[in-house]
Formats: sequence, structure tokens, C-alpha cells
Amino acid sequence: MAAVVAISVASVAASYAPLGEPDSSDTVASPGSASEARYPDRVYGVIDAGNGSPMLGDPSAPVTIIEFGDYQCHFCALWYHDTSPRVKDDLVSSGKTNLVFVDFAFLGRDSPKAAQASYCADDQGMYWEYHGVLYESQQDRIDGGWASPANLRAFAVDLELDIDAFNECMSSQKYADRVAYNTRVATENGVEATPTFFVVGPDGGHVMIQGAHPYSTFARAVDSASTMAG
Amino acid sequence: MASAIFVAMTLALLLLSEYIFLKPYVVGHIPGGTELGFVLIVAIAALSAVVIPANLFRVVVLGSSRSRMGGGITGSVIGAAAGACSCGPLGLAVISMFGAAGATVTAFLTSYEIPLRIAAVCILALTYVTTHRSLAAECRVGLKKA
Repeated sequence: MAAVVAISVASVAASYAPLGEPDSSDTVASPGSASEARYPDRVYGVIDAGNGSPMLGDPSAPVTIIEFGDYQCHFCALWYHDTSPRVKDDLVSSGKTNLVFVDFAFLGRDSPKAAQASYCADDQGMYWEYHGVLYESQQDRIDGGWASPANLRAFAVDLELDIDAFNECMSSQKYADRVAYNTRVATENGVEATPTFFVVGPDGGHVMIQGAHPYSTFARAVDSASTMAG
Repeated sequence: MASAIFVAMTLALLLLSEYIFLKPYVVGHIPGGTELGFVLIVAIAALSAVVIPANLFRVVVLGSSRSRMGGGITGSVIGAAAGACSCGPLGLAVISMFGAAGATVTAFLTSYEIPLRIAAVCILALTYVTTHRSLAAECRVGLKKA
């Protein structure tokens, strides 16, 4: 038992890495200046989540989970269905952590469009609802048409968004740079797969989780980020 | 040899298909709705573990033709490739390296993961049956000669 605990603690210590101070030379160009980021205060070490989603949960929570994902990624949808409900119920709702989604739209030509649509929905205060509809609607075939412009509009209609404003937002490609920027942030931070999570503690140290891990991984990572900080 | 192939293939495919994780903590789970994928992976590993050594035995020990070896290798490769590209590091590497063509290949392997794995099981099962018959016949001939 003691050996198991020792191995476990060693494993946590080994996986908890300090992010260091933000360094402008390490970050990539923001869409416009840094002050134009939607949420300029959301920089965790060198991870700039300032152009990601609205924050889910208490902004003052000691731990932040940053998810890099693609709306056409099957493992992301799997995590959304299998793990995220419990993460939201047990970790986010309890105030232990908050959650930010950042696009890593690389899987197909419909991936950036879907990500842009989520921000067009955000303009009307419906980001997380639209995010959920995208993962609920995902189909097996990448670029198979489920996230076509027509279907993205249909999802907006289902959510009773102002469709004229949504169409204008999409046709003007208002958020194309924001999505491209987020994708660059992902690659700059060594994200090699989706979903990838950074569980960031109060001191900026983080645990990196690659793949659609079960709830137990997140519970342990949030605990280690909370307790080993400072 | 069969045990080594079975263990290595099972572990590799379960890791690639995210049924097992080694970092940051060692953990395994079968998410709801992915049970068929798990069963197919175990079936591919088990059949590969029987078919590949049996064909090697035919070729090396009995000096038979290598023609049936192809089925075992093809089935194993298809089974391993299906879903392996997906959204994982391999997928990103393939897309980065081959651009649009890589994206098309990874999209195909991901979209048709289960049908490809079923096809791999069918190829391996067929190879197993033909190899079994061939071995039975060749060994009988060998006994008569002896």
C-alpha cells in the first residue's frame, strides 16, 4: 500500500510542471494586438487562452482546465459525452476548477467553420449551448457534411439565435483569425492530439493530459494542481 | 511467440485507441458505446497471434510457399491502422507531413474505423481457416513421408 502511495506521489510530482512566466517571445501573434484578445487576462504561463471560449464555472476557482479540441474529433466527442458531465458536476460546479475550451481545428475543412460558428453563437450569449449541439450532432465521417455551413445555420436556428446576425457573422468570417490564432497557440504549446488538457494550478504549474481520459484522471490532476501549488 | 504478439498488439492498439493511458497516470477504461471497438481489437490481436506464427511455421519449418502469409500481414496492418490515425499524435503527424492527402487518409481511417476492423477480423479469420487446412494437409503428407 505504501509503495502504491509512493509511486502515486512520485507520478504526480513528475507530471506537475511549472509553466514559468509569460514570455512574449514564446507566444504567437494575437489576432490584432494582445489587448484585442477577448479575455486578455487569461494567460496561463505561456498558454494564451484569451481567445478561447467563455469560462465555464467560477472565474476565481484555484484551478483552470484548458481543453484544446476539434469539433470533428471523435475522441473529443467521446470525452464530451463520457467524462465532461462528471467533470462539470463534481469539479466545476463545486468551485474546485473552471474550464476553458480553446480550438485546435486541424482535422478537416469543416473544423474551423464549426469553431467560428461557436463564437458567432457566443456573440448572442449561447457559446456553451452551441458547443454542446456540435458535439451532440457529430457524425462519424470527418467533413462528411454534418458541420456544413447549412447545418451550422440549422443548429443556430434550433437554438433560436438571431439568424441574420449569425449569418452575417459567418459570411464575414469575423472569427476566422481567432480560430486560426487558437490553433497556433495549441501547436506552440506542444499539443499533438485532441483532446489535450492543461490542468493549471494557482502558481501556473500544470498537468498535461493527452486524450479522452476518464474522470479519475481529472480528479487526481485537479487535486495535485491544488495541493502542490505554492 | 504467439503470446508476445498478442500482448504487444493488444497493448499497442489499446493505447492508440485510448482504452489505456500511461500519462500522467496509468489508467484504463472502456467508455460507453465503444465496447465493440474494444472487442474487435482483442479479436485482431488474438487472430494475429495465431495466424502469423502458424504461417511462419509453414514457411520456415515446412518450407511452404509464402502466399498465405500476406493475408495475416494484411489483416494485422488494416486492424492496426484503422482508427490509429484519428485525432491522436499520429494523425497530426500524417496531416503535417502529407497535407491534404494526409488529412484525407486520416479522415478515411477514422471514419471507417469499425468497418475496417471488422474487415481485418474477416481477413484474419479467413487466413486462419486456410492456414489450418493447409497445415493439416502438409503435416499429413509429412507423416506419410516419414
